[in-house]
Amino acid sequence: MTGFTPDLLNRCISCGFCLPACPTYALTKDETSSPRGRINLMRALEEGSLPADDLRLGEEASFCLGCRACETVCPAGVRYGALLEEWRDRQWQGAARPPVVRLLMFAVNARWRVRLMGLLRRHARTPDRPAGPHLMLGCFERALFPRVSRAALRLLPELAVPAAQGCCGALHAHNGDSERGRALAAELGRRLPGVIVTTSGGCAAHLADVLGRDRVKELSEYVTGRPAAGPPPEPPATDDAGPAPLPARPLRIALQDSCHLRNGLGVWREPRALLERIGEYVELPSAGTCCGAAGSYALVRPRDSRRVLDAKLDEIEAAGLDCVAVVNPGCHRQLDQGLRRRKSAVRAVHLAELLAGPIDHLEAAPRPTNR
Amino acid sequence: MKTAPAREPVDASALRELRAIVGADHVRHADGDVTAYARDATPLFHARPDAVVHPASTEEVAAVLRLAGARSIPVVPRGAGSNLCSGTVPLAGGIVLVLTRLDRILEVSGDELLAVCQPGVTCAALADAAAARGLLYAPDPGSRSVATIGGTVATCAGGLRGLKYGVTRNYVLGTETVLATGEVIRTGGRLWKDVAGYDLTRLLTGSEGTLGVITEVTLALLPAPAAGGNGLAYFPGLADAGRAVAAIIAAGIVPATLEFLDAKCVEAVERFAGLGLRRDAGALLIFGDDGEPAAVARQLDRMAELCLAAGAIEATVAGRAAESEALLAARRCTLPALSRLGSITILEDAGVPRPQIPAMVGHIDAIAERYDLTIATFGHAGDGNLHPTCVVDAGDDEAVERAHLAFAEIFRTAMRLGGTITGEHGVGAAKLPYLAERLGTAQVDLLRRIKAAFDPAGVLNPGKVGS
Ligand SMILES: Cc1cc2nc3c(=O)[nH]c(=O)nc-3n(C[C@H](O)[C@H](O)[C@H](O)COP(=O)(O)OP(=O)(O)OC[C@H]3O[C@@H](n4cnc5c(N)ncnc54)[C@H](O)[C@@H]3O)c2cc1C
Ligand code: SF4
Ligand code: SF4
Repeated sequence: MTGFTPDLLNRCISCGFCLPACPTYALTKDETSSPRGRINLMRALEEGSLPADDLRLGEEASFCLGCRACETVCPAGVRYGALLEEWRDRQWQGAARPPVVRLLMFAVNARWRVRLMGLLRRHARTPDRPAGPHLMLGCFERALFPRVSRAALRLLPELAVPAAQGCCGALHAHNGDSERGRALAAELGRRLPGVIVTTSGGCAAHLADVLGRDRVKELSEYVTGRPAAGPPPEPPATDDAGPAPLPARPLRIALQDSCHLRNGLGVWREPRALLERIGEYVELPSAGTCCGAAGSYALVRPRDSRRVLDAKLDEIEAAGLDCVAVVNPGCHRQLDQGLRRRKSAVRAVHLAELLAGPIDHLEAAPRPTNR
Repeated sequence: MKTAPAREPVDASALRELRAIVGADHVRHADGDVTAYARDATPLFHARPDAVVHPASTEEVAAVLRLAGARSIPVVPRGAGSNLCSGTVPLAGGIVLVLTRLDRILEVSGDELLAVCQPGVTCAALADAAAARGLLYAPDPGSRSVATIGGTVATCAGGLRGLKYGVTRNYVLGTETVLATGEVIRTGGRLWKDVAGYDLTRLLTGSEGTLGVITEVTLALLPAPAAGGNGLAYFPGLADAGRAVAAIIAAGIVPATLEFLDAKCVEAVERFAGLGLRRDAGALLIFGDDGEPAAVARQLDRMAELCLAAGAIEATVAGRAAESEALLAARRCTLPALSRLGSITILEDAGVPRPQIPAMVGHIDAIAERYDLTIATFGHAGDGNLHPTCVVDAGDDEAVERAHLAFAEIFRTAMRLGGTITGEHGVGAAKLPYLAERLGTAQVDLLRRIKAAFDPAGVLNPGKVGS
């Protein structure tokens, strides 16, 4: 069992500046479910004044979304995300790890093994692989939203996309197995040499943590920073051949930031800039706060996850949107399900899909003129 | 830190009664449940409470206090726990009574220029609600985004606008307060003029949770000024900045903001906020004013000129409102940003008459040198409120000990210069040892008798001011 890195734990001076940024504190108004409170629990664990099997320690280790909103407002520079990983490394061993997480980790592990074998065989055939940029196919995205990777490739045909990639290990790192999480990321880094382009904010942040910031580009970052060679995406075009269409009302689009992309990598202007090019961009007041998906959180704590999501759905519905753009598969699933549950007409669509061209289920509907 | 006085534990039957009052979910007592409430923003003080209770109404607060009084259980009221004088550390155990669920703004009235709110509302939330109606809630502590109205009233918080607008005390029109006996009183009210009886509203303001639990506050608002702006000036050293402050005041200007930071603070703030501040100067002065746009521009220009005349290396006026706001936001986080220099950050809060600022700054430097400590200084120059801040490494107990001795000298120096041991953070337990030196024994005795009148059983925040 590892301990906490003293320098990480000592950084916090308990000023409380992080309280207003924390979504779980907003739900409970209870110090214990705030960043500062959790750091105090970690301290008690480290000092031995709380035993590792203390119920509240376990509860808070899982109640925290891991969204790292607290990091962005902490003037003392506390690296809460790193602390949380160390905490879960200690707390979530064996049976203490939430069963759903164990299942998920097992799934990607198995998939990883299969892919690795396939890859090794293939490596034997084509030894020289171009040194990037490569498109990364996230394990969950590939399973849940295969069209996202397809759209990304349509948008960025220059990217190499080996089929056998494996998992980046973010899931492991955030769920008590950071050593394995790092090993998987390093492995993926070897398998995809050069710059890795991702469509998943969560994977991007974890990969950048292990491989270095310069090796990882999230899609929007890659597109906006691409040399002039690649043209910027055009607005989704209507058919040129037909009679000149009436100027369609532009799509009203909002963005849901991916926490790790925004708080971990500081990427939030780029997707907005791209959306502004293709539609009428609407900034939701809570765009930068967690939607409650938070990796495996929505599965581990479905009730809390929905509580976090609810206010956001109200906002989305009130804003008269056509769609909410997402940049991470977890948020994609979370918003998609939430909106469907409410029978909302608003759709959650990945940024890559929006940029890659017209999406038939997304024609801007005519609206009453009084809007 | 201190050995806890003997106390009545919160036993099973007390817990049962507490649960009946506020609901089982809102009473916590397991070790893991109370650990986070062992600390506030004060370094070096911590003590776990026996139970944490989260009431949702005045009636619940009253019932908890009746129970505590009957059983002699200490009760420590708590807002956001951002205070810097150990005010919310339950040194005698007992109950920490958390008021953050009482977080509704009940009224904002433009006609009467006032707001009524519950204690758990943050300062920033109230200021925003007022601003949305074209009104200003003037008290502006650096911790505004987290500190609660209850906490800021109970500590009489000051802030970045102290010189022109005064401190929290100047804005509290009335309170609803639960006494330690469980009785609910209403002090003051909605009127600006009201002199019936002793001014208990003022007495409660700054009482640090030792006289009663404030459950509602009526606060005066002002019409929002049409414009505001800030500028900054760099000086070779803090003493030069102090002279500029004197020059500005002597010129008959009453700025809204006059904040200074020494070089160490600038370095730390710059590393967090990255505003592009100059790191080569010895001190930075942030000056600001609000009011009619033309008048603001004129005052800012004059202040810049006065700074240059007083020896500033450079003085500029912030171009845009956003720049100006970023400057203040950076200033607000000086304390936590300073902690980047070490791992324990002991911030103190002395005050001196304005003309003594340069002398005081000199003494602080000399004391730091004598004790071989890193002490950075920043503060509210406009009202003479200095925050010398010592940064040491965790685990270096010997350095912490030296820091205590150094601060003792700093407080005594401040008092010798006609100043005080705390300008805004309060006494708590941290300053209690110096209180008699500041007030004299006769006055400390009077405080104790007042405390006994409000809280005969001595259950409210024992071990703090008034004990
Ligand atoms: C970075 C930083 C900057 C700061 N800047 C300033 C500043 O510029 N000016 C300033 O004055 N302070 C400042 N402070 C100190 C602190 O924020 C203030 O003392 C603030 O008023 C505390 O509010 P709180 O809600 O956190 O109260 P708490 O810390 O929870 O409580 C403070 C005291 O009030 C009592 N109390 C709380 N609520 C109630 C209630 N409802 N009824 C009765 N008693 C109650 C408590 O028992 C305690 O004694 C700063 C602190 C930090 C960490
Ligand atoms: S994490 Fe940062 S913002 Fe939060 S209490 Fe600690 S030092 Fe302050
Ligand atoms: S990571 Fe998110 S949920 Fe967890 S403490 Fe920080 S802000 Fe709160």
